[in-house]
Amino acid sequence: MYEPSIIGFLCNWCSYRGADSAGMARLKYPPNIKIIRVPCSGRISPELVLRTFREGADGVMVLGCHIGDCHYSTGNHRTAKRMPVLKKLLEYTGIDPERLVINWVSAAEGEKFSIVIKDFTEKIRALPPFVETMR
Amino acid sequence: MTDRLSSLHETIKQVMPQVEGVLAIKRGPGGIAAPYLFSPERQEELDLLVLWPKEPVPDTLKIIQHAHTDSKLAIVCRGCEERGIVEMFKHYQLKWDNITLIGLQCTQEEAEFCRCAKPYTVHATTTVGEPIPGVPDPLTDKIAAMSLEEKRAFWKAEFEHCIKCYGCRNICPQCFCNICTLEDEKWVETGRLPMPSPSMYHMIRAMHMTAKCVACRECEETCPAGIPMAVQFRLIAHDVQEMFSYETGAKLDQKPPQLLVLEEGEYQRTGLPN
Amino acid sequence: MIEYKNVLTTCPYCGTGCALHLQVLDGALVGVLPAKGHPISNGGLCIKGWNAHAFVNHKDRLRTPLIRKNGKFVEATWEEALSLVAEKLGAIKTESGPDSIGILTSAKCTNEENYLLQKFARAVIGTNNIDHCARL
Repeated sequence: MYEPSIIGFLCNWCSYRGADSAGMARLKYPPNIKIIRVPCSGRISPELVLRTFREGADGVMVLGCHIGDCHYSTGNHRTAKRMPVLKKLLEYTGIDPERLVINWVSAAEGEKFSIVIKDFTEKIRALPPFVETMR
Repeated sequence: MTDRLSSLHETIKQVMPQVEGVLAIKRGPGGIAAPYLFSPERQEELDLLVLWPKEPVPDTLKIIQHAHTDSKLAIVCRGCEERGIVEMFKHYQLKWDNITLIGLQCTQEEAEFCRCAKPYTVHATTTVGEPIPGVPDPLTDKIAAMSLEEKRAFWKAEFEHCIKCYGCRNICPQCFCNICTLEDEKWVETGRLPMPSPSMYHMIRAMHMTAKCVACRECEETCPAGIPMAVQFRLIAHDVQEMFSYETGAKLDQKPPQLLVLEEGEYQRTGLPN
Repeated sequence: MIEYKNVLTTCPYCGTGCALHLQVLDGALVGVLPAKGHPISNGGLCIKGWNAHAFVNHKDRLRTPLIRKNGKFVEATWEEALSLVAEKLGAIKTESGPDSIGILTSAKCTNEENYLLQKFARAVIGTNNIDHCARL
């Protein structure tokens, strides 16, 4: 039974704490996501996302602070500029851009976190495994 | 062609007294052309001036300027080369005030060879030739119209021919980093040919060409495998224009979007959620 | 006066014979450009061709002959080095025969140097054991 492999890059100050909130409120979400904590979503370079796909991830999530709330004030501006262009490049190369999701989850938004993970996991489950599409 | 050549010859002679050299293309042995710095002391060499093929002159200008930081130089440049010089200046690679641009306008055949949308210069005050409007790019249109699966199959087949000569990176006027991500084993695997899919090398290159590619097509011309990688760079350039109102090589005083924070209204155009 | 020119030459590595331009700024070698319109390389180069200029002024390149004395390399003159080589090769040829010696030449040598080496192998040493790096 195919279980998609989802990698989530969560920023230390907002979305990672949002995941903690979801946990403390005992909210359920699929266990497919493997979370990697980074200082800021702006740290996520295109190389990192591409390497994640190359290693076989079926879906990649980049979750950061809301615009204006970044702990480093403009780190998520970097994210908002680079990641949409990367999504376009995925499309131009023939990789489904829906496999990369960027969203903003604050430390108090545990419920939003669980919904975002649930929706994304189901969307990726409906797609074929990434490595098979690259054959 | 001969009229444009003699007109350029005359223009260079007029500009020569103001500068220490004019960078243009010289015919060499066997008719093979290469960039050359014509000097005021040896103006008879201008008899060997040629216009085609186009050569990577902006990068050459950078090499010379870095060794002679205060010298005034002139350069014969086409539309794409001028855009390359503007972008290099904005990335602190060139001193704009020490450069005199001699703008060479492209002919219909030259524009069609490069599938160029802007075969004319914008900033040069001294120009040679009549500017013509841009020509369509049927290859990019064809690839953009393909379905996701067709695009995947197309690029997989193309990138499988890559021999990782690094020619596209070496010849690009915008690639100046001393430490190149493409040489880092963390991101680009070594010792694997054909390239595994998705090709990390090409995708990282495309991302690094965001708001930098000026469509000079030197990369496509030097590729021994004939891979049309500039198609991806230009498709992204179109998105960068839509999202961040940034056109590569157009305005001298407009900073590239990666160096700035989000401007008013830009976020809505990125397609990211609220 | 600033001098910048491109010198058309052939790549010294494999047997394909791609043409390339050596970029020379004020007498110093600064880089490589491909040769557009050339019948063999047509404006392209492989990774070795793109770095064909790198060995010329490399810091690891030998500048004098070196002779191993007491386990360490010591700088020597050409006379010393050539006399030693002639003496030792002659001794090996006498003791073990001419076929105990083999010679490997290089694409970085000129055609004339390669011709001399095969003449040296065949006429002087007296062996057919001559080969070239392009065959490896």
